[in-house]
Amino acid sequence: MYAQAFFVAVFGLAAIGFGVVVFRTSSMVRSALALLFSQTAVGCMFLAMQTEFLGVLQIMMMATEMSIMAIFMVMFMMDPGGLGGMDMSHQKRFSIGAGVSAAVVAIAVALLSDWGPAAEQVADAEAQTRELGMELLGRSMMIFETAGITILTAMIAATAVAIPVKNLASKDDKEASE
Amino acid sequence: MTIAIVLLALFGSAWLLAVIEGWITTGRLSPAAPLYSGLAHLGRESILPRSPDRVFFEAAPVLLLVVAVLGMAVLPLAPDLVIADLGTGGLFINAALAYVLVAVIMAGWGPDGAYAMIGGWRFLGQLIAYSMLIVMPITAVAMRAESLVNTAIVGSQESLWNIVYQPLGFVLFFIAAMALAFRAPFDLPTAEGELGGGVDAEYTGVRLAVLRLARLTLVVTLASATTVFYLGGWYGPLLPPWAWSLIKTLAVAVSMLLAGRYLPRIREADLMRWCWVLGIPLALVNIIIVGLLILVVP
Repeated sequence: MYAQAFFVAVFGLAAIGFGVVVFRTSSMVRSALALLFSQTAVGCMFLAMQTEFLGVLQIMMMATEMSIMAIFMVMFMMDPGGLGGMDMSHQKRFSIGAGVSAAVVAIAVALLSDWGPAAEQVADAEAQTRELGMELLGRSMMIFETAGITILTAMIAATAVAIPVKNLASKDDKEASE
Repeated sequence: MTIAIVLLALFGSAWLLAVIEGWITTGRLSPAAPLYSGLAHLGRESILPRSPDRVFFEAAPVLLLVVAVLGMAVLPLAPDLVIADLGTGGLFINAALAYVLVAVIMAGWGPDGAYAMIGGWRFLGQLIAYSMLIVMPITAVAMRAESLVNTAIVGSQESLWNIVYQPLGFVLFFIAAMALAFRAPFDLPTAEGELGGGVDAEYTGVRLAVLRLARLTLVVTLASATTVFYLGGWYGPLLPPWAWSLIKTLAVAVSMLLAGRYLPRIREADLMRWCWVLGIPLALVNIIIVGLLILVVP
């Protein structure tokens, strides 16, 4: 029990530490990968709390997601390497205020909530995976399918918007040449 | 003890693979060649490029090696010869291998060189192509075993190996594994001919030695995964279980090297198109066929 609490704390501190690095660096790739390792630490917290499937899933998903975010940041930011010495932060006071108040609220929720008694025994990882599968394809199926369809629709819409309309462009060119 | 045996098997296979690779390319069979090559790397100057991202540059080869070893940790060589028989082993190997991408991006971005950086980001595009073809065939494998535990996945193939039960999944997984290990013909991140070595280009000396070892180890891990998921793992007549695992793993690894030797490097846009237009529908068909087989055949 104490070892478990110790590892949850260590990974929690690692997550916060990498989270701080996200904002302390000027390099967009460093920033993105620091966020990745922060999320990986959260995944390790899940593992320490014996929710193996969620932990492994979190660790797996974040690697690809954050790498893709990194290339978008490199593409769209003016100084992706952070070597130009540009200051890309803004609204500092507001950000500090928002950050501190959000932290206070989160800590207050953690301390004041009634979390109930701690679980002494949990099912092993295989049984947990089975239960999770039954949950996802049973009671919660509608919620997850709705979310899935919504995301798919958004992806198709975004791709459709991003594809250049070739016919119109060539028509304009013809008109211009005439 | 198990950890020591599995690590010995992993690095022993990597060494054998290096010997065979040398044999294929030079025509000379020299068992000591990897040793000489490694010592030569250690003796050479390990040059640090100008204005590198030092953390990424140093961490990338080590991360790649760690990831390959972590992937191997959940793959069984024999029923009781596995470092961690996790309840989510089939998912864990995906999670470990996802960090190959992170390591390659770090190796590409770290040295502040154009070729390396292009190589690193190219691998991200390559991931978009191959990643679904890793995950979806594993889904079908887990469906048959009704478990994500890797020993249970091997156990489900006692009567019939998955290469026969779901050959489509095997072909897709094998190709995707080659793309994941970025071996020829999918060696876009390192492409000697056009990128001058790509992510390898700026590494020298001991760092290059670690990077090369990591890449060989990654091939062995993926070959072992192919063995566990499709070739019946430790099952086979006469020889002890661990021997069958090693023989099958080496056979898969050598077939990956041979396939790479006789195929031209594929263009990234073509890889992406083939994977999405043909590969993913085929992977879905594979899942449907396996699902029907499970429901219809008792």
